[in-house]
Amino acid sequence: MNAFWLSYLTVREALFKGTLLFFFAIANVIIVFFIFAIDSTDGGISIFGNPITPRGIPDFNFVDFLFLNLFSSSTFWVLLFGLFATAGLIPAMLEKGTVELYVSKPISRPLLLISRSVGACAGIAFNLVYFSLAIWLIIGVKTGIWHQGFLLASLAVIPLFFFYYSVVALIALLSNSTGFSIMFALIFWFFSSALHLREMVLYPWWDNVVFHRLLDSLYYGTPQVSAMLDSATRLIGPDIMRRPTMLAQEGFDPLPFLYSLLSSSLLYAIACWWFSRKDY
Amino acid sequence: MAIVEISNLSKSYTSGAFHRSSIKALTNVSFSVNQGEIFGLLGPNGAGKTTLIKILLSIAFPSAGKATVLSHPLGSLEIRKSIGYLPENHRYPSFLTALDTMRHFGRISGLSSTTLKERMTSLLQLVGLADWHKVKIRKFSKGMLQRLGLAVAMLNDPAILFLDEPTDGVDPIGRKEIRDILKSLRYQGKTIFLNSHMLSEVEEVSDRVAILNKGHLLHVGTIADITSHELEYEIRLLRPPASEVLSQLRSLCKSLQQDNAVLHITVNERRDFQNVLDILRRDGVEIESFSPRKSRLEDYFLRVITTGTE
Repeated sequence: MNAFWLSYLTVREALFKGTLLFFFAIANVIIVFFIFAIDSTDGGISIFGNPITPRGIPDFNFVDFLFLNLFSSSTFWVLLFGLFATAGLIPAMLEKGTVELYVSKPISRPLLLISRSVGACAGIAFNLVYFSLAIWLIIGVKTGIWHQGFLLASLAVIPLFFFYYSVVALIALLSNSTGFSIMFALIFWFFSSALHLREMVLYPWWDNVVFHRLLDSLYYGTPQVSAMLDSATRLIGPDIMRRPTMLAQEGFDPLPFLYSLLSSSLLYAIACWWFSRKDY
Repeated sequence: MAIVEISNLSKSYTSGAFHRSSIKALTNVSFSVNQGEIFGLLGPNGAGKTTLIKILLSIAFPSAGKATVLSHPLGSLEIRKSIGYLPENHRYPSFLTALDTMRHFGRISGLSSTTLKERMTSLLQLVGLADWHKVKIRKFSKGMLQRLGLAVAMLNDPAILFLDEPTDGVDPIGRKEIRDILKSLRYQGKTIFLNSHMLSEVEEVSDRVAILNKGHLLHVGTIADITSHELEYEIRLLRPPASEVLSQLRSLCKSLQQDNAVLHITVNERRDFQNVLDILRRDGVEIESFSPRKSRLEDYFLRVITTGTE
């Protein structure tokens, strides 16, 4: 129970920092836009009364297109805002005068760290669920199209963020710096995208087996942020924009989530081990 | 019964990634704290006082030696269930009210809602924050934050309280109130481990003290041992005595110092002091008062720290 209250306190702390509230406000603006803008027409959707019609693209499905782009852009902002809103929570816990209050309580340090991370992710999860559910309901009610793929894809971002947060937690713990944690996490995100496309992007740099295996190890040994995002996107529908990462496979692939679960567990375990041995 | 037992505890901090240097914060510290006493830990800045408390609470880890708190080895969760801790310069989340702070930290400590409800109100009353319970603590003064910290430390009805500079930033009235709280806790049989720079305060409330300097334990003993001087007396007279009287007294005393109408004497045995008084009365010297000489803890502390010996 004490872990639950610690997570709850972390959510309140994240709310107090304001970034989550700003995120919530932006979500509401988009929701209001959808309430007024989207409507149904004969066999399709209209935006502010203008029907959206396919323009020469075979099998064009505007609903899939809308949800795909909404998902892609919203997850980008969710991860970015989420990072800014939560990266400081672990360094804040480690500040002199604060860390003593927590580590002197009858709660183990690993549980303290995990509860803090869960609390950090819970605030993001709440915003995400609220936003996705609202958009899904609005479009569902207005057009009669209940797109479950969008809802599932949005829910998949919750574990994705938690896995991604293992990198933030470890770096925040080691560096004790919010700025450095954010910077490293952003670089990691970019790097994760490059690793996801390593065969196309990184292998040609150096045609060496050891280098290729090293890239493979990094890909499987760290949370696969980009691969998880692509896999979640496939829950919505076929990619009309034909992005290179989505060409290879059709449908949801659970493996990036499984590998990320394992690699993030390892990162959390390292963070817990470090935290348990550190003097404050 | 010893409630805290420390045996040859040492702590070194290493720094630098390439040229590693080691700083000794504690060196072979050994002493014990008995149940129901207020134990003062004294020392100048950097003496290792806070490090010692942090090691006892598993906030830091020892490099060598061992210790037990409430018969549990260091690191045991059982210790943290049964202690209260007020850290130096603590920082509770500023967006919480006093009541929220107590509720959250009580819950993190594993207290039930019923216990919390009972304890919160009475403790806020005890530390004088009952009227401030709904105010965000970012509006609190340093003294109010210290009182709140004390209340949070007492939430779980701890068997032993570790207080690191509890009166730091508290006004004189607040300091008196905190001293009274500590005394009443001792009356209830609680043990208090007090780390403070305020020597007069430690002298007033503590039963025993330990003096640390540069990580070394210089002295452990009762306040009475430190401040009282056996067979040393101060006699205040209405007028300075005549030289004949003084020479008679000198023959009886081990040492005699005259400061106008005040005599500081050291005698070999207690009966000699009675003889001194008899001589003064017989020669018609009017005595205003007399008392055993007492030194302040501060004098002793400064002497020990300066000379490094008792």
